[in-house]
Amino acid sequence: MSHAHKSAKGAAGGEKGRGASKGKRGAGAGAKKPEDDREESLQAVVLADFEGHFSPFSQEKPKCLLPLANTPLLEYTLEFLAMSGVADIYIYCGAHSAEIEKYIQASKWYPPLSPASPFKSLELVKSTARSVGDALRDLDARDLITRDFLLVHGDLVSNLPIDAALAAHRARRIADKNAIMTMILRTAGLGQHRTKSGGVTPVFVCDPTKNRCLHYEEMHALQANKYLNIDPDLLSDHAEMEIRTDLIDCGIDICTPDVLALWAESFDYEVPRRHFLHGVLKDYELNGKTIHTEIVEEHYAARAFNLQSYEAISKDVLGRWTYPLVPDSNLISGQSYKFERGGLCKENGVMLARTCKAGKRTVLGRDTSIGDGSTLTNSIVGRRCIIGKNVTIRDAYIWDDVVIGDGTTVHRAIIAHEAVIGSQCKINPATLISYGVRISDNTEVKEKSRITRAKRIEDDVEEVVPSDPEIVGEGGKGYLFHEDDEDEDESNESFIYSTAHLNISSESISTITSSISIGSPTTSRSRLSSFAGSISDDGEAGSSNENFHHDAVSGLLDTLKENGDFDSAKLEFMGLRLSNDATDHQIRRAIAVAFTKRIAQLVEQEKLEPSKAAASAFGTSGAENFLKTVAVGAGKEEDQIDFIHCLQKDLVHRNQGAMILAAVCQRLYQMDVLEEDAFLRWWEECEMLAEGEAEEMARVRTKTKVFIDWLREAESESGSEEDDESEDESD
Amino acid sequence: MPSVQAGYAPNLGVFLKALKTQQLEASIEHLISLLKRRQIRNSRPCAIATAHLLLRVVARFKWTDIGKLLQRIQEVGQRLVEAQPKEMVVGNIVRRVLGMIRDEAKEDRSEDMSDTASITQIDSPQRETSDPAPLRTIGVSTATASPLRFGASNAPGSTDTDSDDGSARTPQGGHRPPLMTSHTSYAVLNGLPVQQSMFNLLSATPSPLSTPPQQIDSPQAGSGINAASVAQRVAASSKDLKAEVISGIEEIIDELDQVDDQMAGYAQEHIHSNEVILTHSSSTSVQKFLLKAAEKRKFTVIVAESYPNDHQATHAAVTGSVAPDLGSSEDTSLEMFLKPLTAAGITVVLTTDAAIFAIMSRVNKVILATHAVIANGGLIAAAGARIIAKAAKVHKIPVIVVSGVYKLSPEYPFEFESLIEYGDPGRIVKYHDGNLVDNLEIDNPLYDYVPPDLVDLYITNLGAHAPSYLYRIVADHYKPEDINFHKPELQF
Repeated sequence: MSHAHKSAKGAAGGEKGRGASKGKRGAGAGAKKPEDDREESLQAVVLADFEGHFSPFSQEKPKCLLPLANTPLLEYTLEFLAMSGVADIYIYCGAHSAEIEKYIQASKWYPPLSPASPFKSLELVKSTARSVGDALRDLDARDLITRDFLLVHGDLVSNLPIDAALAAHRARRIADKNAIMTMILRTAGLGQHRTKSGGVTPVFVCDPTKNRCLHYEEMHALQANKYLNIDPDLLSDHAEMEIRTDLIDCGIDICTPDVLALWAESFDYEVPRRHFLHGVLKDYELNGKTIHTEIVEEHYAARAFNLQSYEAISKDVLGRWTYPLVPDSNLISGQSYKFERGGLCKENGVMLARTCKAGKRTVLGRDTSIGDGSTLTNSIVGRRCIIGKNVTIRDAYIWDDVVIGDGTTVHRAIIAHEAVIGSQCKINPATLISYGVRISDNTEVKEKSRITRAKRIEDDVEEVVPSDPEIVGEGGKGYLFHEDDEDEDESNESFIYSTAHLNISSESISTITSSISIGSPTTSRSRLSSFAGSISDDGEAGSSNENFHHDAVSGLLDTLKENGDFDSAKLEFMGLRLSNDATDHQIRRAIAVAFTKRIAQLVEQEKLEPSKAAASAFGTSGAENFLKTVAVGAGKEEDQIDFIHCLQKDLVHRNQGAMILAAVCQRLYQMDVLEEDAFLRWWEECEMLAEGEAEEMARVRTKTKVFIDWLREAESESGSEEDDESEDESD
Repeated sequence: MPSVQAGYAPNLGVFLKALKTQQLEASIEHLISLLKRRQIRNSRPCAIATAHLLLRVVARFKWTDIGKLLQRIQEVGQRLVEAQPKEMVVGNIVRRVLGMIRDEAKEDRSEDMSDTASITQIDSPQRETSDPAPLRTIGVSTATASPLRFGASNAPGSTDTDSDDGSARTPQGGHRPPLMTSHTSYAVLNGLPVQQSMFNLLSATPSPLSTPPQQIDSPQAGSGINAASVAQRVAASSKDLKAEVISGIEEIIDELDQVDDQMAGYAQEHIHSNEVILTHSSSTSVQKFLLKAAEKRKFTVIVAESYPNDHQATHAAVTGSVAPDLGSSEDTSLEMFLKPLTAAGITVVLTTDAAIFAIMSRVNKVILATHAVIANGGLIAAAGARIIAKAAKVHKIPVIVVSGVYKLSPEYPFEFESLIEYGDPGRIVKYHDGNLVDNLEIDNPLYDYVPPDLVDLYITNLGAHAPSYLYRIVADHYKPEDINFHKPELQF
């Protein structure tokens, strides 16, 4: 033991010596060239747990510790930093900070306890920060960062040598103090790419001659208008411009301390791209700061920020795209993976029955046993799993200590630690089975179900939810997970600009995430969008509603276009509504706009008659029901009138608006969505405005006069009693 | 060296620099992680890093007896080998160091005990099991005193090799080590320096193993003879021994530096005027070899570019420019300043790998570089080497492999697949082609296994050998008890 002491002392000496020499060198360099601090050690900030959708798994465990190819995500990030030669690391933890701390302290990375750590210092910063913005502002307040640093997320997987980008950044910064940040972006082609984010497409407008990013915007998959709003000045200022949507944003930023100062100045920035990047670029005139891009075409860089990207990156790891960050590199001590012919990667102590087929691109952890006749392809199985006989596992990610009974089929699912699946079960695609769930024999788990056993937290009271035998079978444990029940805290950490949930209406993207996050982004969006609004719209009041309006209209429009199913659209719509706290009026407006837009399109593009177009649009399956329940609610007259107003308003600026309005009114009346009283009152109100009414508005409703007259006639025929009543009401 | 490092990314240079100041354990882990992350790769950098690290281990280790030191080095070596089993030189260097320490210890002891050795020799098996600590430690530490150990450790090793290696190894593989032990023990008894084999007598360059420098240093240690003073003597002699071991490792490091030049020394015997020589990928060894031959002769070199893993480096080597990424990551200052072959007046033709077979009929000789050489005479070389060797076989063209002895491994794998590393598929299909990435399974093997029957001649720093003779060099350089040092389950 004395030996150990001595060596420790020696280490301290060595450390000191090194520090001294470093200092000296730094000083020497400084004397020569004050700007050049090449010899200074590199700092990095890891944002461990702020963004990302991994529900229901992230409820119980920090996201950055979820295993990807049997190695926690954070390991990949730290490995990348070690590879880049970073010396000082600050890890910012949001939720679950205790667990992250425990993990880090036990790992090889923690310098005070592990001599093997490649880092000189590693500090865990536990903060109450709930967003990246808060964390960075906190960081700024702490004054820890004194020089250029790398800003990465705790879910980064990359084998990129960063030296070239660092050198370029430094050169730029020496030339111009205002070059505050360099983002590293990986090209991923224009076509479909599994690792590109599905829901949101980041659009970077760059000046390729200077590698400068000029504008940033995010496009949603279901956004109706594929337009960017580019400041016209940019066009005149820059001879060359590239608008790129083919980039994977891996979240590696090389920042100067000025970046933190900027974050601190703008207290409403929450996320690094949508807010910070967008905002800073927009305010170029004001602050003169430039942000640059380093677009790489080699090597791997991506973030596992949601389950969709988790799956993509898992596949990339299996395909060795992340080499040398592959299982058989055994990055964590204690791993003993060996890569065998055909892409099977297994640890020591794996027991394979003679007739089982553990084939292509499969990873098997230690002490896992696989029974006779089972087939595994493109899957990752953790340690100590027991897989029975005649089991079929495809594209599945199975974590540690899972038991799967005989004859079960698992396809494209994630099964978390210690879950037990009975025999003869069928786990359908996009299923997520959380920790410790037990599925009893002969159960078929429906597609896209998320099953958990975690205690539900409501009003800060943990509540044990009884198991749902319909889902997990008799004797099973677990219930369906609903994000809406989540506590406020939980929703906050899922801070992300993913709109993967929007994918649900487009059949083409049927990935795990699209199903997972059906509800997940909803609660988080409110915050998000309000912030987004406040920046992008320069603090215009009610801008969050713009966001809602935009998303809602585009979602509905797509459903209409594809003759899609309104039931799911409704679900999504309600989600949006909840998350944005949209008022009833906004909802009506959005619906009205969506329908009129569609009808106008039909009229213009397909040369339909307005009445036919209206019939077709409103004839979409479920549309009637949707309108009745969502648009006009419980049959209140005011609501109906409001809806007609909305229709009218929107049709003002459409071609043949008047004709369409007439057709729509007729149609809606026929469908019993709107009642005659509402129409009459609306008409009266319009008439009452008389001069006060805008000219366009009047023009639009002219054609509807026939319909109203007809209504009046019908009414007078039906009897005067009712008429009186309605008139009383209207007063 | 102020400007060697262009960025922050660690590499061999950084490792060697850090080695001086870092705590030992940190250095070991540092190297392990560099090996795992492939930031130190290819044979020579791995060998240099390993040798330097072991030097450090020996220097820092507070040892009381040789056995502990061997144990320590085995343990460190095992960790390094496990970190990157496909870099076989790591294991080779560890084995060399282990063997060297055993030799030194033997020498040392023979000096000490020359008068009493006969008694110890006879008694040692019994003593080893019954005696208290002081003698026991010596018994374990020296190979002479433990024939039991020999027999035991040899048995699995030899069965292992025997079963795998059909033709060449079998007759000697089983018998030689015990034979050697008896030989050496005689030599020890007589106090003579050990000549391990005829081979070393003939070899042009002195192997660090065969010329023990400690004779001058240690005679004064050998006076006391009784058991009580043994411990004291060990303490006294271990100091000298330490210096000897360190100088032994330094010799290995020197050998690593000089090995290319030594091999180049044989170039003119093998390359003749107006020959057409085909080579593959960018190997410094081969390049030096050819440059040396070019001093006197004019010939033509055809270089296959070895796409996709090494073509940039090959292009750089042919044109004489330093490849941007290779130059910074694998800087052994020597390599940077190699002048291209064309500067030496040689006609160089760069060709694609696909054209190899077509061009082979015009070739007089194929010279291959290698990643590792296996005891059976087969080799692990850059992917594409096997095609070349096979094509040469068809055209009956001699294949010469240029390889330092340090790449020669006593390991004989159960299946060669396990030695072949698969790299980044992005070299073959660009990652941004999402459709291909999603639908293709792409394998990018970095190495090829070339079986011994496709190789005609090996040129090492010791001279030229037939593949079937390599086992002999293996036996000379590695102690049989060290062959499976990294697999404790195969040791007794």
